[in-house]
Amino acid sequence: MNYVLIVGAGTMGTVHAHSYLNMDGVQLAGIVDIRADAAKQLGQQTGTRVFPTMEEAMEALPEIDVIDICLPTYLHLEFVKKAAQFVKNVICEKPLARSIDEAKEMIEFCKEKGIKLFVGHVVRFFPEYVKAKQIIEDGGIGRPGVIRTSRGGGFPAGWENWYESREKSGGLVLDLLIHDFDYLRWCFGEVERVYARGIKGREKLDYTLVTLKFKNGVIAHLEGTWAHQGFSSSFEFAGEKGIVDYDSKKAVPVHLVRHVDSSIQTAGVTVPESPLKENPYFQELQHFIHCMNSGQDPIVTCDDGLKALEIALAAQEAMDTNKPVFLKSVKEELTK
Amino acid sequence: MKLAIISFAHMHAFSYAKAIQSYPGAKLAGIYDDDPNRGERAAEDFNTQYYESLDVLLSTDIDAVIITSENSMHKVHTVAAARAGKHVLCEKPLATNIEDSLEMIRTCKENNIILQTAFPVRFSSPVLRAKTIIDSGELGEVLAIKGTNRGTNPGGWFIQPEFSGGGAVIDHTVHVVDIMRWFLKSEVKEVYAEVDNRFVSEKIDDCGILSMEFDNGTIATLDCSWSRNPSFPTWGDVTLEIVGTKGTLSVDAFAQKIDVFNERGHKYHYWGDEMDAGLMGDFIESIKEERIPSISGLDGLKALEVALAAYKSSRQKEPIQLSQV
Repeated sequence: MNYVLIVGAGTMGTVHAHSYLNMDGVQLAGIVDIRADAAKQLGQQTGTRVFPTMEEAMEALPEIDVIDICLPTYLHLEFVKKAAQFVKNVICEKPLARSIDEAKEMIEFCKEKGIKLFVGHVVRFFPEYVKAKQIIEDGGIGRPGVIRTSRGGGFPAGWENWYESREKSGGLVLDLLIHDFDYLRWCFGEVERVYARGIKGREKLDYTLVTLKFKNGVIAHLEGTWAHQGFSSSFEFAGEKGIVDYDSKKAVPVHLVRHVDSSIQTAGVTVPESPLKENPYFQELQHFIHCMNSGQDPIVTCDDGLKALEIALAAQEAMDTNKPVFLKSVKEELTK
Repeated sequence: MKLAIISFAHMHAFSYAKAIQSYPGAKLAGIYDDDPNRGERAAEDFNTQYYESLDVLLSTDIDAVIITSENSMHKVHTVAAARAGKHVLCEKPLATNIEDSLEMIRTCKENNIILQTAFPVRFSSPVLRAKTIIDSGELGEVLAIKGTNRGTNPGGWFIQPEFSGGGAVIDHTVHVVDIMRWFLKSEVKEVYAEVDNRFVSEKIDDCGILSMEFDNGTIATLDCSWSRNPSFPTWGDVTLEIVGTKGTLSVDAFAQKIDVFNERGHKYHYWGDEMDAGLMGDFIESIKEERIPSISGLDGLKALEVALAAYKSSRQKEPIQLSQV
């Protein structure tokens, strides 16, 4: 049995908690949140003990063998390091950190202590994204040329409005577009240069358009939005022989429309739903647990998380300077 | 009103010919083409006269010409028509370089004739509706536009730079840039572009992503790639995703279609309004009323400048200020 402690009872903590509940060989043993109400609510939903701090949780639950950090980005480094004192396995939500330095410190700290660190780039577990990658690798579109992705919806609500603070979340580019940076890098390898433009200085409205040029020649255009209503994601891979096209707005197998006049309450980050036996979050976490037990390398490593962060920060820099940013690889420094 | 078509090199000549013939009071009075076979066939198709000499055609009593020759020939044909006192509707891009465009605009002005650039997308019913919504203020301030004008490799002279002036970027940048300028009432200030050759075997730019900033601060991108393959259900698209302070607006100019699945595969059959008829009507009415056409030669030049800046940006790997073109 693997005993899990979740830190952070927000949107992602809630999604992870429900995933663990249905997972064989896994027990959700505790939930930590300094917000007593949020902790209590999720604790009641999942029938799990709650604690205000990680220390108190570990005192009461010494059997915990994995800690899952679902906190706002700016708290990741502090809490991953803290978790590493107690357990051998740590899962950290994406993005790993706000800066390369923080991410490297986190990775090196875990490496030195022999801690397995996993980063939650969940798009690699979305079946539509997995299938598209497979079709491209099987030659389904010939040589890929221009790739377009889109992701987003409304401006996310979070604790103390942490998404509004570039200091805390890194904004849309780090929090949202990092999914596509990681996924596209998984498909096409390393990025050579990044250009990005975004709207600036608007309250609860963010929108960014990024162009990536990969070392293999592929051009990718990414749209990230916190200016639309309702979450959606899409991609189109155009190659010299074929096109792979997907739009979550069009691939809706179940659509309930209620006759109500009250407005829909939104809370936290919008999480896309798709009626699958095992949702992508479940698959991701199950894979991480499997890797912990078997020693197998995960589909997405913390070095991948670092590389995705590097692209995101380059996009941010391009947006700030109005100039394309050529990537300096951080990999060599890591392997030193 | 008598109109003539100069060259059937560009496939749009066919729909323009149809638009002339279905316009009340307009007559397709002749066709000139430097390729006699092509010209004679077209004249036969449209039941009109073929002229093997442009000068002879221009000496007749026609009022105006539609120029659908190769891009590199636009200047020669426009200048000849202008000197003969014939109004000009010129296929886009207006020319292959700034100097030719300026000469065309100048000559038409000197001869007091209308020079209209063929940007039919301005007459697309969905695009017109979007313009109305934006002008009404319903979207608030427009902050960003994500556009696409993707297409199929047209082949032929389109992929011979000496005739076309370039590939996908010069071919497919100008339509949507024109729409963006028209919507925003603002000019492009800066362009960054990634341009490459990844779809066709001939050495020509066939894909590009442009990023732009307008004078009013609006940001925009445009995908001008020839990235549609022969099995794609249609030739291409014109789409605009518009983000405003009060809402968002999604425009897909060719979404009015039905899907057909048969032994030829899956194809879209468009049933929306034909925009070439609107363009032709505007040109003809402008001549009749002796008014300034709603799309000028300058509009053609402004859109061309952006395409040329995109090439320069791609070569230099840096953003280009439009005044530098």
